[in-house]
Amino acid sequence: MWRRRYPVTTSQDMRAIPGEADVSGKAHDHANPRGAIAIFLLPALAVYAAFTALPVARTFYNSVHLIVPNRESEWVGFTHYIELWTDRIFWKAVWNTLTWAFAAPLLEVTIAILLALCLYARVPFSRFLRIAWFTPVLMSYVVVGILWMWIYNYEWGALNEFLRWIGLASWAQPWLGHPDTALASLIAVTTWMWTGFNMVVILAAMSSLPSEVLEAAELDNCGWFAKLWYVILPLIRPTLLNLLVLSFIGKMKIFDLVWVTTQGNPLWATETVSTYVYKRAFQWSTFDLGYPSTIAVIWFVIVMAGVLGLTALLRQKERLEY
Amino acid sequence: MARVLSASGLRVAALILFIALYTVYSAGPFAWVAMMSLRTTSEIAADPYALPWPLHFEKFASAWFDSNYDTYFFNSVTIVVAAVAILTVVGGMAAHCFARYRFRYKGVLYFLIFSTIIFPPQVTVIGLFQIMVEYGLYNSRVGLVMVYVAIQLPITIYILESFFARIPSDLFDAARMDGYSEWEIFWRISFPVALPAISTTIILNTILLWNEFLYAVVLITEDDKRTLPLGVLRFLGDQLEDVGMIATGLMIAIVPVVLIYVFFSERLIQGMTAGAVK
Repeated sequence: MWRRRYPVTTSQDMRAIPGEADVSGKAHDHANPRGAIAIFLLPALAVYAAFTALPVARTFYNSVHLIVPNRESEWVGFTHYIELWTDRIFWKAVWNTLTWAFAAPLLEVTIAILLALCLYARVPFSRFLRIAWFTPVLMSYVVVGILWMWIYNYEWGALNEFLRWIGLASWAQPWLGHPDTALASLIAVTTWMWTGFNMVVILAAMSSLPSEVLEAAELDNCGWFAKLWYVILPLIRPTLLNLLVLSFIGKMKIFDLVWVTTQGNPLWATETVSTYVYKRAFQWSTFDLGYPSTIAVIWFVIVMAGVLGLTALLRQKERLEY
Repeated sequence: MARVLSASGLRVAALILFIALYTVYSAGPFAWVAMMSLRTTSEIAADPYALPWPLHFEKFASAWFDSNYDTYFFNSVTIVVAAVAILTVVGGMAAHCFARYRFRYKGVLYFLIFSTIIFPPQVTVIGLFQIMVEYGLYNSRVGLVMVYVAIQLPITIYILESFFARIPSDLFDAARMDGYSEWEIFWRISFPVALPAISTTIILNTILLWNEFLYAVVLITEDDKRTLPLGVLRFLGDQLEDVGMIATGLMIAIVPVVLIYVFFSERLIQGMTAGAVK
């Protein structure tokens, strides 16, 4: 099946190999790159087909069927898609996820630029600071979620204790329990996690800038803000754009953190598309896998369109500048 | 000494304040959970922010033996080690192939595999659930290992391919002259030369899979097969009020990752930032 679907090679595009002419493929099986290519690729392709391609195809198939345990799947056409159109929880989830996916990258990258500048200017203890800022990204969302549930706890959580300590006791509230603050609180958690990572990448990009350009800016008596705005940021622009897209993709997928902390509550204020799919597929006792698959398919299309749109947009701008 | 601060002095003060505030925000939570992991729940209830004294190291032993953490930890270690080992070999072979040979549909195949990096996991997870039930791999550690290989394969191939492609081809031509087979070329030349990139992918995959949650929660329901993140969450559900013990469990999950970071920070950062720096 593999070979039929993915013809691995033909002899005419083989790379010329010294001495190949006098070696017959049969006699020296390992020396024949065609066989070698197949051997090298097959395991990866098998894993890809069995555990990625097939599940994706299955989900697409599900999306136009009613899938109930112990029954033949039943073709329902685009019923699920029509139902989805009027599903208000779904649209709430889309709204929340998009808010997250657009707000978080901007927050992360902006703060990361400031932090990277601090380290770039060689403040004291920069090695320690780099470690302290980067570490959150190493923890699993489960650990992070539990930890921040405690921080946001109304009675003894660190945030509310801090507010009471500086005399803003009236601001203290159950941050994850209130529909108005829950989503923002979770966005603060992902920002906490990912800013350090962005900072490290930006710092690496800044450190590899040619020093002549910066020296020239200094000779021109450039202020530090002008230097940042007109020299450094334009030069590391490709890196910044990459980081924005990466962060956008990550937030479009977000599941673990919400699942551990709020499970979409209160009042769907933190429902994301991932958690809604999970709930409809494995928690609600509708037992139908078709409808959640439809959500997944629609979301897949939206994410792909978003990523392609963003990259196309950003690439076009880059071309204009040249 | 009562001098008015100059403008530049103010700027330095603002900078220090910003750095200090951000450092507290970023490192504070970790320090807090580390302190709580060494204190009993009643001590924490009395004052959540006191320093840990006396140090209750025995809490780690009790979390380990009484709360099934030994099982979860062992499961996590086996699953991650197996998945990373398979990933390194399978991904290495495919990356070598993509980097060294020209063949038909290479671009299409590479695009197919690579595009899954941006797939939202929802689109695989439901179909995967059904397929794993049919394969008899639901609730199985072997099944989870295979899924982990599949989800990390694209990024592994991506990192390794770009490294393999930079190995000068003279090296390979010389090896062919010496009568090396294609397999020997991969195993005795590509692999050793690319060891830095390979160790990068090993460390990156270890950390990401150690923390993985979504696929584990969908595919594993039996308690004795749970990985550490699931175990921590189950413990939270059972012992909601036992903050001290949960904190100890969190530390057990964090410490291996922090140790990897301490010893391999450069490699890890390289792996995580691969692709982000252009």
